[in-house]
Amino acid sequence: MSAALVVGGGVDALVAAHVLARSGMRVTLLEEFASPSAADGWVPDEVARAVGISDLVLTTPDPWLRAVLPDGGTLELWRDVARSAESIGRASARDAAQWPRFCSRMRALAGLLERLYCESPPSLVELRFALRVRALGRRGMEDLMRTLPMPAAELLDDWFECDALKGALGALAVRDIQQGPRSAGTALRLLHLHAGSPAGVFRPSGSNFAERLKALPGVVLRNARVKRVVVRAGRAAAVSLDDGTEIAAQLVVSSAPPARTLVEWIEPGWLDTDLTRALRHVRSRGVAAKVRFELAQPCAPLTLAPSLDHVERAYDDAKYGRVSQRPCLDLTASGAGAEVHFQYAPYRLAAGEWTDARRAALADQAAQLLAPHLPTITGRSVAAPPDLETAAGCPQGQPHHAELALDQALWMRPLPELARYRTPIEGLWLCGPAMHPGAGVAGAAGYNCARAILRA
Amino acid sequence: MKRHDVIIVGGGHNGLACAAYLARAGRKVLVLERRERVGGAAVSEEVFPGFRFSVFSYVVSLLRPEIIRELELPRHGLHILPLESTLTPLANNDYLAQWSDHDRNRAELARHSPRDAEAYDEFGLLLHRMARAVKPLLATAPPDPASLRPRELLDLARLGKYFRTLPARDLNALWKLLTMSAADYLDEWFESEALKGTKSASGIIGTLLGPRSPGTAYVLLHHYMGELDGVFRAWGFARGGNGSVSAALGAAAQAHGAEIRTGASVQRILLSSGRAHGVVLESGEELRASTIVSGADPRRTFLGLVGEKALPGDFVESIRRYKFRGSSGKVNLALAELPRFTCLPENGPPHLNPIYRGAISISPSVDYLERAYDDAKYGEISRRPYMDIIIPSMLDPSMAPPGRHVMSIFVQYAPYHLNGGWSDARREAFGDTVVDTLAEYAPNLKRAILHRQVITPADIERIVGLSEGNIFQGELTLQQMFFLRPAPAWSRYRTPIDGLWQCGSGTHPGGGVMGASGRNAAHAILGRRA
Repeated sequence: MSAALVVGGGVDALVAAHVLARSGMRVTLLEEFASPSAADGWVPDEVARAVGISDLVLTTPDPWLRAVLPDGGTLELWRDVARSAESIGRASARDAAQWPRFCSRMRALAGLLERLYCESPPSLVELRFALRVRALGRRGMEDLMRTLPMPAAELLDDWFECDALKGALGALAVRDIQQGPRSAGTALRLLHLHAGSPAGVFRPSGSNFAERLKALPGVVLRNARVKRVVVRAGRAAAVSLDDGTEIAAQLVVSSAPPARTLVEWIEPGWLDTDLTRALRHVRSRGVAAKVRFELAQPCAPLTLAPSLDHVERAYDDAKYGRVSQRPCLDLTASGAGAEVHFQYAPYRLAAGEWTDARRAALADQAAQLLAPHLPTITGRSVAAPPDLETAAGCPQGQPHHAELALDQALWMRPLPELARYRTPIEGLWLCGPAMHPGAGVAGAAGYNCARAILRA
Repeated sequence: MKRHDVIIVGGGHNGLACAAYLARAGRKVLVLERRERVGGAAVSEEVFPGFRFSVFSYVVSLLRPEIIRELELPRHGLHILPLESTLTPLANNDYLAQWSDHDRNRAELARHSPRDAEAYDEFGLLLHRMARAVKPLLATAPPDPASLRPRELLDLARLGKYFRTLPARDLNALWKLLTMSAADYLDEWFESEALKGTKSASGIIGTLLGPRSPGTAYVLLHHYMGELDGVFRAWGFARGGNGSVSAALGAAAQAHGAEIRTGASVQRILLSSGRAHGVVLESGEELRASTIVSGADPRRTFLGLVGEKALPGDFVESIRRYKFRGSSGKVNLALAELPRFTCLPENGPPHLNPIYRGAISISPSVDYLERAYDDAKYGEISRRPYMDIIIPSMLDPSMAPPGRHVMSIFVQYAPYHLNGGWSDARREAFGDTVVDTLAEYAPNLKRAILHRQVITPADIERIVGLSEGNIFQGELTLQQMFFLRPAPAWSRYRTPIDGLWQCGSGTHPGGGVMGASGRNAAHAILGRRA
């Protein structure tokens, strides 16, 4: 029985480990970071099936988005398209009429992404891919070609007039990316968030996937920090740990960021300098902080991004290394409190390091902006991008490990040479969020990688 | 009444190129130009007595060499003088000079960053290779990927086959160029801010995008596509100004028998039962032909000259969505003396300094350009704009009286959709901003100015007829390129109206005084492959 080591952690690593184990391999998972308890993102049926999980519990907040209107009221987007339209209608009758049409057009496009996400990325000149795109029909194809490279702002301006609606959706479209809604390719980002959700829902459901995965038998779990992947004769032969132990393996699968795996863990000399140079240029800039508030009473979701210009101006600050003066805040209920996604809070600040004073100032800023809309805040904690790096291994605090931009998506993810999960070192594979399809689709990169290994 | 086979609406360079090719193939062609001179945005005018300007477009580079060859433009008076250098003045009294001479360029780059000097050659080779890969596409009518017609399928297969011949590495590098921002792309190669700023500036020209906006890397390629005299990266100045390009194209068209009428403004295209069969001039005169070709931009052509009632709803919707967002202006100066850039070492009279024969770029860093864009993004003139400057009188003394000079300043950003709208006062304020910014680098500029002409995007729209003053007849962004330009399914110069064709920069491959749209359209009309 061949021995496989999966290193890193997270849902992708767990899925890869279990798919390999179910095929008969002896698999050890070396967890560098505690896996998150709530899987963030859509769990494709195919992925859940591949690890034998059939009873996932989904958390589907309804409304899934609540935006504050200038008059103090709120605009709610529900899982029910008609109900959302009714709510939008309070701000704009025209937009209310557009909403169902927008939802069905976006659903058709997300459908194509969903199919692409559960397999290795297509190649640009692949006939199979070309035929699949053609199968969308003229309308679908034209939508796809126009929409993918579009700025989200342009897409939303094409459809809607209500600033509150456009601002809130625009903020979602730039989530975790160092770009503003006027940047090309952010419409793809919005579709990415839509994948796996019914028409009219642009936020993936939460689930107990990670929890269930951790409880599955068949894989040996071990906490360990990797120091090196030992290469012998061009093959991954073992992994050596921080404490000096060396574990032999025929197969090493890493969910750590590609640059970490290939540059930090591999002795220099095994890889082409062109590749190491390219790896250093994979963009993974963390742009958001997380603030957790403990609340006296539970609360509904809330998004503060009143217009596309607001989101764009928030981004302007980040371009020059500043925390947004007027950030985009996205609050979701979590346990007894709420978690706030605070964007933009860049990893590298022009003014210097992330200090505790800066973290506290950021939390104050969030609390002040949200206070009018929340129950009493009884406690709080902040994770700035460097904290996300230390706690979860996200390079520069970027949860996608490689920003999901057009030039780092599909067959370009994270680099064209690595897009098929294989590395130039035989027996060493990549399965983390930096791989196609990336974070937001729970376990799909791990599943695709494991399948590629089993086919090889 | 004299009968023509083809009427071309608009005597811009593409309309003229199209006319020349059609006339050369034996068609009886009539070109109708609204203004008193042909050329559209490629015109030379004596704006002030004794001072001649390329009023709008001002350099030549992308003009397709096959057009120069096939239409024998040099015989019709086109003479291109090379621009040998680009000077980027910097705030700390330093400068970056880029030269077309390889060794000189390398030495100067090394002064700023030895690493960049090393990387520069490799970068050039890669972009050169990309430009080669893209070049055949410039002369191709983009097929409609959704079509089932055999001819389109055949062309699609041919295109697919072409892409398959490219090494995967090149294809991926091309995809990166298409989708990345100029700033991100250059960050992978260089460290010197002045170099990155100046290079990324070519990515923002003609668009309302900044150097950090994805999609701006692609235009870097254009610099490597310019191929005057077969030399890559060459930019040139047409003797007599850019009007000479139009004049040569017009002369070539006339030599092949085309007729050109100026002062003939087309009011509408005549249709009957879904077919175009003539035009009505503003004077009321009707002219007929079985083929009508419009060199006007898509908005003017379809929403203006044709009218949306005659067009399918989807198509009208696409044309409405097609983005112009003009963002550039021009300032043309008549000067009593050359500006003296204080960053340059004092060595003799400036008119003997070869650097003044090249371009001057106010683009000290990527952040400088991005901040200029930040202003424009929210509807304001850049407080400190990007400028691309040439001094034509240094290349062609006939442009100004002896001892005097003309200066052409291309400026970005001056958004068409200015908060509060354009007015005479705003125009002058824009001119002042430009002169003030430039005077920081060349303090003698202000007293040297004899006359000043300021052109805003609103002026470009009014005078030349380019919608929203967009110099490319529509932004060259990914969703407006190749088979999406100007609308999906209508990228092959045809239109939903039988007998009506388009030949302007609003079609593939777009603007930049390339002439390729005009040539490709002529080939499409003649039913030939380019």
